[in-house]
Amino acid sequence: MREKTRERYDVVIIGGGASGLTAAIYCGRARLNTLVIEKALIGGLATYTNEIGNFPGFPDSLTGLELMNKFHQQAKNFGVNFKLTDVKSVRMENEIKEVETFRNIFECKVVIIASGGRPRTTGAVNEEKFLFDKGISFCATCDAAANTDKTVMVIGSGDAAIEEGMFLTKFAKKVIVSVIHDTGKMDCNEIAKAQALANPKMEFKWNTVVNSFEGEERLEKVILKNLKTGALDTVIADTCFEFIGYLPNSEIFKDQLKLTKQGYITTDEKMRTDIPGVFACGDIREKELKQVATAVGDGSIAGVGAEKYIAESEMFRNQIMQKEKIGMIYIYSAIDAPSRELMPMLQEIEKEFEDKVKLNFIDIYKGRSLCDRLDCTASPMTIFYTKDGVVIDGSMDCSKPAIVEKLKSLI
Amino acid sequence: MKEVELDCLGEACPVPLVKAQKKLAELEIGDILIVQIDHSCAMKNLPEWARTDGHNVEVEEVGDGEWDVIIEKVK
Repeated sequence: MREKTRERYDVVIIGGGASGLTAAIYCGRARLNTLVIEKALIGGLATYTNEIGNFPGFPDSLTGLELMNKFHQQAKNFGVNFKLTDVKSVRMENEIKEVETFRNIFECKVVIIASGGRPRTTGAVNEEKFLFDKGISFCATCDAAANTDKTVMVIGSGDAAIEEGMFLTKFAKKVIVSVIHDTGKMDCNEIAKAQALANPKMEFKWNTVVNSFEGEERLEKVILKNLKTGALDTVIADTCFEFIGYLPNSEIFKDQLKLTKQGYITTDEKMRTDIPGVFACGDIREKELKQVATAVGDGSIAGVGAEKYIAESEMFRNQIMQKEKIGMIYIYSAIDAPSRELMPMLQEIEKEFEDKVKLNFIDIYKGRSLCDRLDCTASPMTIFYTKDGVVIDGSMDCSKPAIVEKLKSLI
Repeated sequence: MKEVELDCLGEACPVPLVKAQKKLAELEIGDILIVQIDHSCAMKNLPEWARTDGHNVEVEEVGDGEWDVIIEKVK
């Protein structure tokens, strides 16, 4: 085994699609030392789209690749680093996290997972043989022109399947759609459905799934199976387009993060996962709408979250858990008057001990995250005592004599 | 385990891919092939081929419009 080179970053972003690049722009602009790791092409899934007409700010629609190149350039302008390779494994439970590729181990304070997804396949016989350039495609935009005056098959009946299917009719002489549902039932929106049913170039095979793909070098036939009758139906097709959803790229995280049944990562609205310092954004998240516009929203929240998390970690380590003096950490809430009123008394005590005691306040009304770092479920009017940067004791006794006695015992 | 450099600067598709395929076939498992390219098309098809074939791949932008495609032969 070759020795892997270790490099240190503040933030490592896994995935260079719309959400990852947006997170990178925010991190870079916050002057965090940021690395984006992308296994294929920068820009992610959006680069497979020929026309992006609904991303605000670009009234003359542009290609996905053009838009993503702008994202990329913007991140580069803010000093973000890029690595084009696969992430092999991650270790995220410690404060310093590790992201491993085949030649490096990247150490970082924050990991932002923006690994997105890939097209789902049917799993039918011989599918592997014809994937991508041998007759099975996932991108009408990419492969429509090559199918001018040919017969193509579309698998699926969701928005993507039907809308891309209609796009294909502009090129192909016939578009045959395999739909898993009963006659007339589709998963797409009603407008698309009505248009598709009225399109003379489109033909529907109801209640069918793919049984197998046949051909020599390239795909020649798709064998459909009728789910009701079990009958096989051979369709001659030059290309088969599969639009049956996406699979999240979450395999390498499954032992460390809670995933949904479909493999998506659940986060809160701040894009935080279950592990402190690990964020997820974009298509990898369990969420309603997967668009460049929503990816951008996710990415910006994750980027700002990363910056806040790192600042708070430093404050916690250097200030609250300082090692120089005996520490007294007082938990209060800004909206709880009794807990607020004790603060002058505590400041007096700190003064009386001259340079031996350091007092810190944590306002849990502002947020629980600092308190959570003390590993506590403390309520206001709790005092934690520290020595050499370690919590020695916690107490809810806030009487002056008790506090003074406790501090004396620690000095 | 050796590292071999393959200069494909100035060469257009599919030459870098064909050269890389030939060169990699000569190497042992664990060896690393570094293909130097400056043609953006090769920047797409070369890593794609190597990845689909199951090898470890990393692309490094060494200059403006110049890349090293680093391939570790794994089988």
